[in-house]
Amino acid sequence: MAVVTRQVELNWLDRTYLWPVLKGMVITIRHFFRQLGTPSRKRFTLQYPDMKREMPAGYRGLHELKRSEDGAVKCVACFMCAEACPARCITIEAEEFSDLALTQGFEEKRPRIFQIDMLRCIYCGFCEEACPKDAIWLRKDYELGAFDRQDLRFGKWDLMNTYARQDGKPEIISDPKPAVPHVPVGVQEGPCS
Amino acid sequence: MESFAHILHPTPATLWMIVKVLLVFGGPLTIASLLTWGERRGAAMIQDRIGPNRAALFGRWPLLGLPQIVADGIKSFLKEDLVPPHTAGLLFWLAPMFAFIPAVMGFAVIPFGRSFTLGGADYHMSLLDPGNGMGMLYPMAIGAVAVYGILTAAWSSNNKWSILGGMRVSAQMVSYELAMGLAVTAVFMRTGGYDPHEIVAAQAGLWNVVPQFLGFIVFTSCMFAETNRLPFDFAEGESEIVAGYLTEYGSMKFALMYLSDYIHIVTASALVVTLYLGGWQVPFVAAPGTLLSVASFLGKLLFICWLFIWVRWTLPRFRYDQLMGLGWKVMLPLALANLMLHAWWMHRAVMG
Repeated sequence: MAVVTRQVELNWLDRTYLWPVLKGMVITIRHFFRQLGTPSRKRFTLQYPDMKREMPAGYRGLHELKRSEDGAVKCVACFMCAEACPARCITIEAEEFSDLALTQGFEEKRPRIFQIDMLRCIYCGFCEEACPKDAIWLRKDYELGAFDRQDLRFGKWDLMNTYARQDGKPEIISDPKPAVPHVPVGVQEGPCS
Repeated sequence: MESFAHILHPTPATLWMIVKVLLVFGGPLTIASLLTWGERRGAAMIQDRIGPNRAALFGRWPLLGLPQIVADGIKSFLKEDLVPPHTAGLLFWLAPMFAFIPAVMGFAVIPFGRSFTLGGADYHMSLLDPGNGMGMLYPMAIGAVAVYGILTAAWSSNNKWSILGGMRVSAQMVSYELAMGLAVTAVFMRTGGYDPHEIVAAQAGLWNVVPQFLGFIVFTSCMFAETNRLPFDFAEGESEIVAGYLTEYGSMKFALMYLSDYIHIVTASALVVTLYLGGWQVPFVAAPGTLLSVASFLGKLLFICWLFIWVRWTLPRFRYDQLMGLGWKVMLPLALANLMLHAWWMHRAVMG
């Protein structure tokens, strides 16, 4: 590998050392005044707790368990995400429920426990890809902190509420009671049959 | 007993002395603590950053980050005063004071304003009145003593990095003091005396920086070396010797060392202003009023302080042998040349 040496020819002015120093000082003071004249919001620095960077599309942040319109969890406890997870951080316990109502999507299974250990999760997004119901999303929140390890084991309700405030949706803490079991016209031969 | 009566019935002279002590002691301290803020904010601006702006007075008024000084002070007072077990006990405790006291003392002879006459008595704007026989030799001597603080700290820390930093600093200071002394000698020669009041008075009309530009450059560079500022900061060096002589110091002891560094900057700036920039002289004003002269001195002082900061964030640091080479092979001959030039000049003026 050839070593490239670049010989810089200095003229007598540069060799006084004083002139280059003055030139450098002009550069730094120009930066000083330019930064001084720039209003705070236009500066390059993002003052973090006050200003936040918009995460790029495709960013994989904190998870959300999606819900249908009435607040029922979309997840059907198929265990695909738990299987796909390379970090094995998803714990699911399924439960059956038989009160068929339209808003629950005619499903017969849902997770009784859906737990993600955020300390083990590597945010790879495989669960998102594996989900056949599009029920788990990795979204753009990255501020995840707690004083206790246990607090970072997010349960089913935690996961369903992670983005509730941001999206302007109510926080939910229990499965919705099925509304009056009404069966719309024309779906008798639907998925049940 | 007479002296006690003196205190109980203060004459204007004693009152003036008390005011001066407060000014000369509090002034540099205040400017030094402001400099720590100025350094951080200025550096941030030069580097297109923002700098400390989160500390706020009563959690409400950030005031451009100025409360950071108070916050830092409170922090250093409340931090645990950790003394490593292998240090040389008493000296380790005394070293910050050895560093601090000479730093504050140096300012005593600097005239920071024009003397004024009130009720038939002369009031001089410097702690020591003119004609005290020490003149500018005093701050030079005190500046030379300042190296003991660093060296004591380095030795008593009982740490390889500390002692390396201390050795480097002492070698550097001794080398650069030579050039500094020679540069100042030229000023003394032109003035015909070394009393700072005389030096300032002699600069009426034309400041020393014009005829003695070479001396100004040499002296200012040596001041950078004396105060251990970049590009000559060999007391510390994160990649080589960690924090140098400060390695083992923490909490308020560290803060005292750090503050004395900044007071050194203030004193060095005051020396540069007095010797080369006309002290309290105001350009184009023959006999400025007292307040105007003080403002002029303060303005020049702050500008030179800013110069220290400005240069620090412009220049990369030297290598140690380059520093020594610059000191002995460039600064010393330049100072000698300056001295000879002015000697020849004065000789020609006398001989005609």
